[in-house]
Amino acid sequence: MKKQVKIVISLVLLLLGVYFAYNYMYQDHRNIKEEKAVVLISASELVSYFNKNNSEKVLNKTIQVSGIITEIDIKNILLDDKVQCSFDAEIKNLNLNETITVKGRCIGFDELFDVAKIDQSSIIK
Amino acid sequence: MRNLVLTIIFLSSIFSIINAQEKFITKSGEINFEASVPSFEEVKATHNSVSAIIKSNGEFASLALVKGFRFKVALMEEHFNENYAESSTYPKATFKGKVKDFDISELSTDHKEYVLLGTVNMHGVDKNIETKAFIRKVGDNLFLDTQFVLKPKDFNIEIPSVVSSKIAEEIRVSASFEFKGTS
Repeated sequence: MKKQVKIVISLVLLLLGVYFAYNYMYQDHRNIKEEKAVVLISASELVSYFNKNNSEKVLNKTIQVSGIITEIDIKNILLDDKVQCSFDAEIKNLNLNETITVKGRCIGFDELFDVAKIDQSSIIK
Repeated sequence: MRNLVLTIIFLSSIFSIINAQEKFITKSGEINFEASVPSFEEVKATHNSVSAIIKSNGEFASLALVKGFRFKVALMEEHFNENYAESSTYPKATFKGKVKDFDISELSTDHKEYVLLGTVNMHGVDKNIETKAFIRKVGDNLFLDTQFVLKPKDFNIEIPSVVSSKIAEEIRVSASFEFKGTS
């Protein structure tokens, strides 16, 4: 009896180990759309985080940015000529000169065009 | 006197027309890299918001924010950012260089092969590379495609021995840009 119990317990522990290891190795990507934004700011305010060397407050974090659409592409929009928002799917129903708020993950500041960039964007209103 | 002023104005206009640089830009360039080893997990990443600029004199510059590289496996993306590329310390990967013998007037809707020379900067290290660039022009837009190979060790990127057999020593990079003219 004891030997059988030991075997069953070992098996259960092994299966639990495999389960947790698998979940760790194949964990989901962050769901930026569902995360709470750490700051709610304008496009210019986002750029100033980088100009003032304060980037750790926003880098890799989920943020909400508002601004006027100054450029539209298939999967990208530009807010106030200062912040580029990349979407994972094709953009529909957005037009130039509209004011919108976008939630996304801040990936950094592009010095080639002086533009802050966010990805995994979703539209908030 | 009046003739002199007019001549100067005329010559200056001609001069500025001759010197005018045509610039083509994009903020949605694509860079993919692949370092898979047969029979192990796929090591592959895609970036869809790479910035780049090319001028009519052949000057070319590109910037990719390292955090923008997306992997299918979330854990792989985390390791790439935190342990290998150290993207919080080195947030940008850049290229600065020139397309040799670039002549916009020679371009057509068919690819033309050029040599692209320049410096890649990543993880705080500069490396000169030379690669073939295929360029074509469709209307006001320029298309540039190139493929090359980079080695992590050339950029002081350490891959621990535990995983080194699962990551190729040579990373195959492919870049594709659709530039819009700025006139």
